[in-house]
Amino acid sequence: MAHAGRGAFVRIFNRIRGPRIGIKLALLGSLLLVVPFFSYRQVVEMERLLLEGQRNTQLLKAKGIATLFNGRDSLFNDLPVSTSDYEPLFVQPLSGAVRIDGQGDDWGMNLDDSMMGFGSPTGDRDGDLRLLLGERNGQLYGFLRVRDAEHVWRDENILRLDKSDQIRISFIRTDGEDGRIALVGSPAAPLTAYAMDDGWRFAADGPPELRIQGAMVATGSGVDVEFRMPLDMLGSRRHFGVAYVDVDDPVERNIRQVTHTLPTADKAGFDLVVLQSPEVRRIVDGLGYAGARILVLDERGRVRAETGAIPDAGNTTTHQGVMDRARDLFETIRPLLHRITTGERYDPEAISVAESQETASEVIAAALRGEPIARRRKLGNNQIVIMAAHPIYSKDAVVGSVVVEENIDAIVSFQRSSLERVVLVSVASLLIVVLSLIAYAARLAWRIRHLRREASRAIDQYGRLRTPSLRAEMLAGDEIGDLARSVSGMLSKLHQHNTFLENMPRTLRHEINNPLNILSTSLDNLATEVPGVLDSKYLDSARRGVLRIGSIVQNLADAANLDDALLAEEMEIIDIDELLQNYVANCSLSHPGCQFVYRGADRPVYAKLADYRIEQMLDKIIDNAIDFHRSNSPIKVQLDVSRDSLQITVANRGPTLPPRAERTLFDSMVSHRGQDNRLHFGLGLYVVRVIVEHHGGHVRAMNLVDGSGVAIMVQLPLAQAAGNGVDAPRPVLARSA
Amino acid sequence: MARTIAIVEDDPDQRANYSDAITSKGYRVQAYASREDALDGFDRELPDLVILDIILGEEVDAGFQLCRDLLSRAPQLPVIFLTERINEIDKISGLRLGAWDYLPKPISLDYLAERISSLLRINQARQEQQEEHGASARRVGELVLDTDALLASWKGKRIDLSGTEFRMLAKLVRQPGHAVSYENLMHATMQSLVTNNTINTHMRNIRKKIERIDPAFAHIKSEYGFGYRWVE
Repeated sequence: MAHAGRGAFVRIFNRIRGPRIGIKLALLGSLLLVVPFFSYRQVVEMERLLLEGQRNTQLLKAKGIATLFNGRDSLFNDLPVSTSDYEPLFVQPLSGAVRIDGQGDDWGMNLDDSMMGFGSPTGDRDGDLRLLLGERNGQLYGFLRVRDAEHVWRDENILRLDKSDQIRISFIRTDGEDGRIALVGSPAAPLTAYAMDDGWRFAADGPPELRIQGAMVATGSGVDVEFRMPLDMLGSRRHFGVAYVDVDDPVERNIRQVTHTLPTADKAGFDLVVLQSPEVRRIVDGLGYAGARILVLDERGRVRAETGAIPDAGNTTTHQGVMDRARDLFETIRPLLHRITTGERYDPEAISVAESQETASEVIAAALRGEPIARRRKLGNNQIVIMAAHPIYSKDAVVGSVVVEENIDAIVSFQRSSLERVVLVSVASLLIVVLSLIAYAARLAWRIRHLRREASRAIDQYGRLRTPSLRAEMLAGDEIGDLARSVSGMLSKLHQHNTFLENMPRTLRHEINNPLNILSTSLDNLATEVPGVLDSKYLDSARRGVLRIGSIVQNLADAANLDDALLAEEMEIIDIDELLQNYVANCSLSHPGCQFVYRGADRPVYAKLADYRIEQMLDKIIDNAIDFHRSNSPIKVQLDVSRDSLQITVANRGPTLPPRAERTLFDSMVSHRGQDNRLHFGLGLYVVRVIVEHHGGHVRAMNLVDGSGVAIMVQLPLAQAAGNGVDAPRPVLARSA
Repeated sequence: MARTIAIVEDDPDQRANYSDAITSKGYRVQAYASREDALDGFDRELPDLVILDIILGEEVDAGFQLCRDLLSRAPQLPVIFLTERINEIDKISGLRLGAWDYLPKPISLDYLAERISSLLRINQARQEQQEEHGASARRVGELVLDTDALLASWKGKRIDLSGTEFRMLAKLVRQPGHAVSYENLMHATMQSLVTNNTINTHMRNIRKKIERIDPAFAHIKSEYGFGYRWVE
């Protein structure tokens, strides 16, 4: 049992011999995956480095700009109070002169983009107004675009000024009193400004306020209004508000609606006109460059100057090409890749706009606390920018800060393209390497298989050498070639050894025959020389011994020479049924005391044979059968014919074959006779096998089905030209007795 | 005058044994250990019969070479080969005019003596036969066997048989139609160690030799498992 268990283990172990060469190479090839891994890491690191560099650069820029303002706190002192209590109305500095003519084309900017909207949120209802404020040479310019389907001009006959469409300007005068100015007008005339009474009904002073000029032009959907007033009128606090009074019914002339810029309930009663400091601006202007925005803030975080703009990240192009699709695919798997390679979460878009707003506040707050800082933040249009802020000092106090915002599209796109390149190159090289590995492995495996096949073909199933050398891989320069040459060398050495062994019986016979001959002739001479010896039984036994050695040597030599001897035989087509009939009949003569039964084919069966050799073969089989048969039981010889072969069966009752004997029974020098095999060398059945194989047949031995004996079956091919009919083979060994 | 027998055998023990045995039979013996010695000896005096071992020292075919040399000097000289290499002897024997036989080792000295006397007698008989024809001849159908001269002929043409083959053929035709067993044929070979294969080989050689004269020859029939039969 233990043996069987170990056998099973060995079998299983043999089966799991480890991966084949191809798999091993594939595993090794997969090590190449570290290339994209490290490349990816490198790119990520590089991105980090670039961002860091960019951050530092921006900080340096911010610092540089801040240096310009250091100690010039006067520049920031023109805004007296905190803006946080007011809603600011931002004033754009105007670069050129503006004519008050109701046309906005001389403002030097895109009006639609810059105007602030008031009224309904959608901005498309009657009375909704859009406002743009500008400042030049101490004058405050205003441009309004009002939606008003029914425009009602002033009627000169009505004294009350609130009976037509008009612009109302509220402010706090330099003396601290409320200032009220209404701009009313007739068609084709400039607007006239009046300082108004508390109820906005009549002009307070009578004559118009000439410092304020205005113009109103009707457009298709409403009116465009342009006005100008000196900044001096506003006083230092610059509280200011604009309203449009809409009167639609030209007969009743009642106020339908007032749309104003005045703040909502929780704020103070006025808007605050926020002027950028022109001085600061002038300094900053020269520093602007493309793709960056520079802001100068005062200590309260109010923007005092701004230059440059962040260009739109732009166009999300429609992806169509293969490259683009690959890019998309890459973008989708990138988070996973990133996580695998760096172990961090990948989400560059994670910063929300709201968070970014906080980031911006934090950055500004930090800068105003005196800490230079740089952060990444996201703009509404999906742009990532780096925001760097540096404080401006004056007398060791922070008076403001410089903020430099620059988008990092260049870096991101560089990173993206290098990632794509890395991935592409990696995939391509992986593909090439894997393909060549596969090809190499297949070639290697094929060569090894080829070599193995030829090597295993070099020796037949009985261990005889078929060829003294190999042809496969002999010219290969690598290790397989070495292996082939080594195997071939082994084969040729084995061949030499085999030749030596094959010649051994012949040499042995010669070498033994000479001393035997000495013995034999000496015995003869002894018998003549000493007359008395002739009667001695010892002389006889000595002569018998000589003969026996002689016959042993002879048998060995014959068996060894059998292959060669068979090659010299001439084959002829003979009737094997007749031969067997004759043979079995003669067996009864030569082996008296044994009973032989022959069941032939009842008709001639032709096969191409060397008849003496078939006779020799039968001798050996019959000898074997006689040795093992139970006395008084017949030895049966039977001939069966099938389509293209014939089968000779010799069966005897008696002891069955020992287990596993069938395989070795026909090998040379193998005997299963047990102890009493003095004259048997296991050559008999070996001779049978060699003869049968020489005739192109095969032989096997098996126990009878009922276990009563042994049958030896010889199958030989039929002669092709003989034209034998096909008989259904009779049941083998149907035993009659 | 005693006949001279030459023995060429490299092994001193065997040579001495042969010499002693043959001398005791009343022959004069010249014993040589090598081919060169033998040739020297033959230059001085030609024997009446030569016994040749084939392998002499390192020379595997020395016996056959000696035989070829003798062919030019004395074509009729009877030769006995001490070997089992029948096929190779046949190649040589085809060239020989004289009677010849062979004996495989281990030999029996009795058989050797018998072969010597037989070959000497045959040689003499053949020489005498030049004048008178076949008194001792035995006729079986077309086959004529002259046992004295060891000459066989088929349909009047001579068959060149060795002594062993002649004796086997004679045994086979003693009772035409009757099967002769392997055992009986073995006795006829006058060798100490004979197998069925040896008999089969001889029989095939005999058949072939007759078929060379008469391709239709089919009088020797195998009795498989028993022996042979001469059929009329």
